[in-house]
Amino acid sequence: MIPELYEQCLPLVGVSTTEHLGRIEPLAAQRFAVAAGALQSDAPHPLLLSSVMGWHAGPDESELYPDGTAHGFVPGVPLEDVRLMGAGQDLEFHEQPRMGSEVTLETTVSDVQLKHGRSGDLLLIHLTRRYTAADGTLLTTCRETFIAR
Amino acid sequence: MTDLLNGPDPLAFEPTSLQLFRFSAATWNPHLIHYDSGYAETEGYPDVLVQSHLHGCFLVEVVRRWIDGRGELRHFSWRNRHFAVPGDVLTCTGRIVETDGDLITLELEERNQEDQVCATGSAVVAMTSSGEEPS
Repeated sequence: MIPELYEQCLPLVGVSTTEHLGRIEPLAAQRFAVAAGALQSDAPHPLLLSSVMGWHAGPDESELYPDGTAHGFVPGVPLEDVRLMGAGQDLEFHEQPRMGSEVTLETTVSDVQLKHGRSGDLLLIHLTRRYTAADGTLLTTCRETFIAR
Repeated sequence: MTDLLNGPDPLAFEPTSLQLFRFSAATWNPHLIHYDSGYAETEGYPDVLVQSHLHGCFLVEVVRRWIDGRGELRHFSWRNRHFAVPGDVLTCTGRIVETDGDLITLELEERNQEDQVCATGSAVVAMTSSGEEPS
């Protein structure tokens, strides 16, 4: 199954999708900081943008995968039968977003790799996300790898 | 007062299932593995898992408290090395590994109560103030 997913992902390498995320709501940003055990600040927490998994209402529960995750995690790739784990992020902070900033996200599948681990096949999905403000200012670049197994 | 040259003070976090629930809610993350222990057991884990991003938040908090308004975070990265569950004590440390003008690079580490490395990271901070009291 993992090798088939790898084949499905390969044509997506280099493909970008753009999504308008909306405003950074102050209350949502403050709740994030509270949940993270972080000091409150006038500015959004540096990991807010790259940690939020859904910026819109989201699908009905009946449309979630059996493990609770939502479709569209990797645009165009069905991931309902795999276990997906975040492996960490690499973040560059270009400009500090503000509370209330309008944010747009461009996601690019930067690479996919097929690995043969001790416990079976692994698919590594490397995403590059660029968060920009309404005036086009680049706020944050996030490079993240997900492990599907 | 924290001495910039000595690097950050360690910070210990003791995540609870309540914290994981609130973090999942705040990030709109519906993955069962973070709030349904029965589901987590089906994947071979002893309890619900601390979110990858929450490990990142713990590590970056060491840097944020150390900066304390005297600089800006320019770069931060982390890698998850070992899972963590509620009840674990996650001690986060940072040490300065390079200073280049106003830029300070730190290496970060998160270890559990059994001294297993749960996450590693690095940060680059642009200092805007030395933090020293005027003489």
